[in-house]
Parts: sequence; C-alpha cells; structure tokens
Amino acid sequence: MSAKKSNSRFQEFWDDFRREKSGLIGLGILAVAILVVIFEPLFLPYKDVNEGNWRNISYWEDNSSAAPPAWTNIFTSKKSAVSTTFNSPEVSTEEDPNYGLVTTYSFKYNYKYDLPPLDLIIRAKASGMSLFLMELERPDGNIVPVGEQFFEGLNEDQIRFSMDTDAASNAYEFARQFASEEALANSDSTTIRPTFVAFSETGSDMLSARVPLKGTYTLRIRVPSFITDDSNNVLEDLRLIVTGRVSGILGTDTYKRDIFTGIVAGLKWALFIGLATSVVSVLFGVMYGIISAYFGGFVDTSMQFVYQIFAGIPVMPLLIVLAAIFKPSIWIIMGVMIVFSWTGSVMTVRSMAFQIKEETFVEAAKALGSGKWRIIFKHIAPILLPYSFASMALAVPGTIVYEASLSLLGLGDPTIITWGQILHDAQNSGATLNGLWWWIVPPGLFIALMGATFAFLGFAMDKILNPKLRTR
Amino acid sequence: MSLNDNDVILQVKDLKKHFTPHQSLIQSLAGSGQKRPIKAVDGITFDLRRGEIFGLIGESGSGKTTTGKMIMKLIEPTSGTMVFNGEDVTHTDKLRTQVYRRQVQMIFQDPYASMNPRFKIRDVLQEPLIIHKIEGDNQKHDEMIIKSLTEVKLNPPAEFMGRYPHMLSGGQRQRVATARTLILNPMLLVADEPVSMIDLSTRAEILAMMKDVQRDLGLTYLYITHDLSTARYFTDRIAVMYLGRIVEMGPANELIDNPIHPYTKALIEAVPEPMTGKVDVIKELPISGEIPSPANIPPGCRFHTRCPYAKPECSEQSEPELMDAGNGHFHACRRWKEI
Repeated sequence: MSAKKSNSRFQEFWDDFRREKSGLIGLGILAVAILVVIFEPLFLPYKDVNEGNWRNISYWEDNSSAAPPAWTNIFTSKKSAVSTTFNSPEVSTEEDPNYGLVTTYSFKYNYKYDLPPLDLIIRAKASGMSLFLMELERPDGNIVPVGEQFFEGLNEDQIRFSMDTDAASNAYEFARQFASEEALANSDSTTIRPTFVAFSETGSDMLSARVPLKGTYTLRIRVPSFITDDSNNVLEDLRLIVTGRVSGILGTDTYKRDIFTGIVAGLKWALFIGLATSVVSVLFGVMYGIISAYFGGFVDTSMQFVYQIFAGIPVMPLLIVLAAIFKPSIWIIMGVMIVFSWTGSVMTVRSMAFQIKEETFVEAAKALGSGKWRIIFKHIAPILLPYSFASMALAVPGTIVYEASLSLLGLGDPTIITWGQILHDAQNSGATLNGLWWWIVPPGLFIALMGATFAFLGFAMDKILNPKLRTR
Repeated sequence: MSLNDNDVILQVKDLKKHFTPHQSLIQSLAGSGQKRPIKAVDGITFDLRRGEIFGLIGESGSGKTTTGKMIMKLIEPTSGTMVFNGEDVTHTDKLRTQVYRRQVQMIFQDPYASMNPRFKIRDVLQEPLIIHKIEGDNQKHDEMIIKSLTEVKLNPPAEFMGRYPHMLSGGQRQRVATARTLILNPMLLVADEPVSMIDLSTRAEILAMMKDVQRDLGLTYLYITHDLSTARYFTDRIAVMYLGRIVEMGPANELIDNPIHPYTKALIEAVPEPMTGKVDVIKELPISGEIPSPANIPPGCRFHTRCPYAKPECSEQSEPELMDAGNGHFHACRRWKEI
C-alpha cells in the first residue's frame, strides 16, 4: 500500500468508488437532485405551491384541467394552444370618444396553433375601484368586443376577468355579424365558446367550421383617466393568462394542478423522508447491534428478544392503523418507520461486533483502563460505520416506497406534497381509465428513479467498504 | 525465602482459573456430557521482586497467557490471591482497578493487532492519557508522547506520531506498544511474548531496548514466552509452567544450566543449536505427544503421561508440590534424585 493512498481513507474510498459505474450514476443523480432542491425556486413554475397551495383549488383556477404536456404538440397533427402568461403589457395613453383620456394596456399574443386556447384570463391586483374596457384585435383587423367590467371596494384584492365565462354574449354578438342565419338559429350565447369565435376565420360557417385564424392578436385594456387620476385607485401586476389545451412540461391534472410543480416540490420530501428515516434507523440499529454483542450474556439475550418482536411485526398494516387513528402527519409516519425499520442492520452488525470485540486492540484498550462506552464508541463503532453508510443508502428506497404506499392509500400527510400523494389523486380521479398518463407515469418514474439512485450508491459502497471490514 | 516484604512487588498465591464450557439447554436437560471445567491455571504461586525480570515459560496451552491476563485483571481468577504492593488486588472495585491499571501495564504478543488500525500513533499513545484523565492540553500530551517515544528509541518521534500502525514495521510497532505502556509510568509490565512475532533480526534490538527501559525506570517485568533462548538472555528468574502449574522455578542461568524437572530438560533439549557437522540431524526429543487437555488433567503428577522417567508411583501418589533444591531453585519432581 503506498503511503500516499493511505494518507486519507476518503481518498482510498474515492479511488475505489470511481471504478463503480453504477455508483457514479447514483452519485450523479443524487447531486442533480440536491441541486434541484437547493435551487427549487428557479425550477418551480408556481412559486407559492409550498405554502399550502397544492390543495387550494382557487390557486389553480386559471389552469386548464387535465391538459397534456406542451411537448405532445410535436406528435399531433393538430397543434393545440399552449398555456402562456403575459406579464408586461405595453402601456400608452390615447383619446377615447366616450371616456376622454384613457390608459391602454395592450398584450400581444402570437397565435399559431390549430386548436384555440380554452380561455383568456385577465388578472391584476387592485385597490379602490377600477374600470376595464377590453377588446381583442384580430390579425384580420376585426375587433372582438370583450367587455366592460367595473370593480369597486378593492383593497389589494385580486381581480379576475375570464373571457370564457364573462364575455360569451359579446362574442356571440361578434359572430352574428358573419355567421349564417341557419347556424345562428342552432346556437345562442350559452352554447358557443368565446375563444372559438375569437380565434376562427370569419365567415357564414364560422360557428361550425372553425378554421383557425393565425397571426398576432392584441388584447387591449383601457382604463379611463378619471380612475387613474385618483391616487386611491391602484392597479398593479396586470397580466394576461392564455389557458391553453396543453400545459407546461408535464401537463396538469383534473384539479388543474401543474404536475411538474408537484414533482419538483415533492423531490425534497422524498429525499428528506428517505434520508432522515434511514439515517436515524440505521444508526440506531448499528448501535443496538454493537451494544448487544459487546455486553453479551443476559443483555444480549434480552436485547435479541426485543429485536425479534420488532422484526416480527409487519410495518405496513401497523402504519395503516396508526395513520387511520392519528391525524396523518409526516412526523408520525417517519417515527413509526424508524421504530420498525431499525431492525434491518442489527444481526449483521451484531455478528461483526462479536468478532471485533475479541480483537487484541480491544483487549489492549481494556488493559489501559478504557471503559465500556469508550471501547464501543472509539474502537468498535468507527469500524462498523462504513458498513452502516451502505445500509443507509440501501434503506432509502424502502422508506420512499413506504411513504408512497401510505399516500397511495390516502393516509399521507395532507400538508406536504409527495409523489405518492400525486399517484393517490391520480388513482382517485381515474387517471388510468381516462388516459391521463402524464399524471401517473412521472411520479411513478421518479419514485423508481430515487429508489434506484440510492440502491446504486448503496451497492457500490457495499462492494467497496465490506471487504475492508477486516480490521488489518 | 528470607525476603523483605518491601522487595516483593507482586505476590501470587495459589491462583486458579477454571473456565466452564457453554452447554446448550438440551445438553444440560439430557444430562449428557457433564460440565467439566477447563483448568487453564490450576494453582500457581510465585513472587515478583521489585526491579527483576521474571520469565514465565511453557508451551502453548500451559496457561502462561491466562496468568498474565489475570495479573492484568482482564479476567477474574477463580480462586487464589494476588497481593500488589502489600494490597490484595484479587477482586477490586472499578475505582481501584483504574488505579491498579496505571501501575500495571501489558505489552501484547501481536503488535499488528494490539493497536486500533484507525488510530494514528499519536492517538494510540494519547489514549491512556485521556482514559486516566492526565492533566494537560494537547501540547502537554504531545510532549509526554514524544518523551516516551524517545525512551523506546523511535527517532525522530514527531515523524512517527502522524502515521498509522500499518505504516510501521513489526519492531517499530512493538516499540510503540511499549511506549504506550510507559506513558503512565507503571511499576510492573506484563510482556506477553513481545518478540515472538517479530523478525529474528530485530528481536535482540527490541529486547535490549526493553532491558534499557527497565534499568532506566526501575521497572519490574513479567516476561511470558515459550522461547528459552531469549528468556535466558533477558530474564533474572524463570518459572516453567506445564498444564496450569509451575513445575520448576529458579534463577535463569541456574535453571537452564542445571535443569531438574524432566519437562524443563526436554524444553532445553528442544532448542535448536546451529552446529557444524550436524546439518541434517534432527534432534530426538525425550518427550512425545501433545499436551493433555486441561479439561482432563492426568491424576498424580500431571506430566507423567509424557515423562520418559515415569514410574507407576508418579500417577498413583498425589501431585508433587514445589520443593526447594537450594539456591532459590524449586522443582516439582519427586524422583529428581533418581534421574
């Protein structure tokens, strides 16, 4: 053994580890996962999701329901409008014949799809009162009157105008200019979709043929000067949300939630639950095994008896019962998992500790006057520690899957987001029957990926560290 | 023996260690296989004089290491007494044991195994200081470590402190092991075959170092070995053990030049001597066979099964006690005058 190599145990470990391809893959994925957790705000499309908004229906109301991922457009012949948000309107002032001086906020939307968006939503935060005069200018020069809306008594409230629900009659009026009598007779303002009218070529059959009119649309919101001049009236954060038919990287579920957001926000919980539970339970198990072996005799016998009891109790039914009795909380779930999963490493550690305690250096330490605990913590535990690292990594997938299984049964902690809960919601909503694969495959795949990552790491460490268990 | 009590540092009297083998529940219920104690040490008596090197010699299984461990208080004696510095230390409480361990230290046989492979030499040597809460910060401890490394002639000491045991040779390790025992300023050192696992070329060096240390610090050694040649060179007095009992005891030169007990004679015969003209001659040993099981000790003189001079009386009469042959030479053979 060269002197340089043995200078640092870690260096030696790393030299071996580098040769394990699966271990490097595991390490790589884990590094990426940790980076994602650290820089989560950069990845999250919906930043407030961690503040209890995952189950807040109104938080997600501007999204489309059960929309496939945006990239599915690549594989379809008819391209669907993608959900988009416009945050910075162009602001100008102009003269209006009815209201005098007005401030105009205009959003430009480049429509290049075959299937129109489901809704156009105008949102802002406002105080005092406000009057919106809204119209949509089409690429062919026609103007769809979207509507006039008056808001009052606001105090930094969110205001929302949905074209789909609030502009139906105006859109119908627009269609009447072009559509045939026959087509109009078969419909009224409640049966048409305003966005279909607004994004189709004009003509007598525009209500049924729906030929898309591609090009740049301009949505104008005019606010009269008598509103803007009063300093009590504040209007800020004005934005246009185009609710498309396809949305985001991983689509949305039937509750209109963005699945990609759920996956990213669930990653930290998967890592936390997996690592915290396995680290605590393996450390406890290792110490239990060492103490049982070192003291031997009656202590060993009684500790083995307790071990047999814990090892014999099936965890899953117990977790189900406990989660049903108590309010499901992640701490209780993790606590129970720790209480029943520390048994995994006890027997191996015990047998190894039996061997180490007979080593001469342990006897030498005794001859020097070492106490029992000094021998356990200074001489035996450090030798078994590498083994426990491998066990920890190998225990992580189990705990992630346990939590997911509980969540799948509807016994997860409702205050957090986990992949298992996403799967649970998908199952409850019949995602499989309705073909919403983007709701089922990603969380399942990520549970498997996290499990595989730690299994890779664990196997690689096991391979390297276990032969080193011999003490000289 | 006309020894002043002050000259005796450790008095061992009729010390015994009987191990009871484990039996399974079924075995003990069925009553098959009676519990037969393994008599590893079966009543030994000797005195260690202050400042001497006392050799305990015997083949494997003779109980010499068990004796050392009992003196080290690593195992509890079954019966008998040990008096250290006028105080009975056979059974002591935790606090007294801790004090005793500062005064009595042990060097182990295997220098490769007696140090934690994860400890640096510095940590190995600092451990006794931490255990016994020796005053001083790390710097003070470092000074003490350097001092004891210098005592065992590991130079330069500072260079060795940062190394791990596996980076040292066997001889260097045994020096470190000696330094570890010296750091607490003990009075008695139990050295359990300290050179048996070291290269022949370095054995003499290590023994010379140990002897220097002993002379400089006025230590007493209990030197446990199976090697007569180093014992003669190293020790002042020798006791020969066979199957848990001392069969002969006396001054080193006297015992080796004029052995009385047939077992001692056989041991001395067995030492190979390089001699011209005797290249391919293998010595014929007067004794044969293996040492009997300590669980089944022969009646009468326990050596009679292997003794070339054994007569029926040896097995029929009771076990011979140590007898004085003059000049501090003791033996346990009733037929010594005839042979």
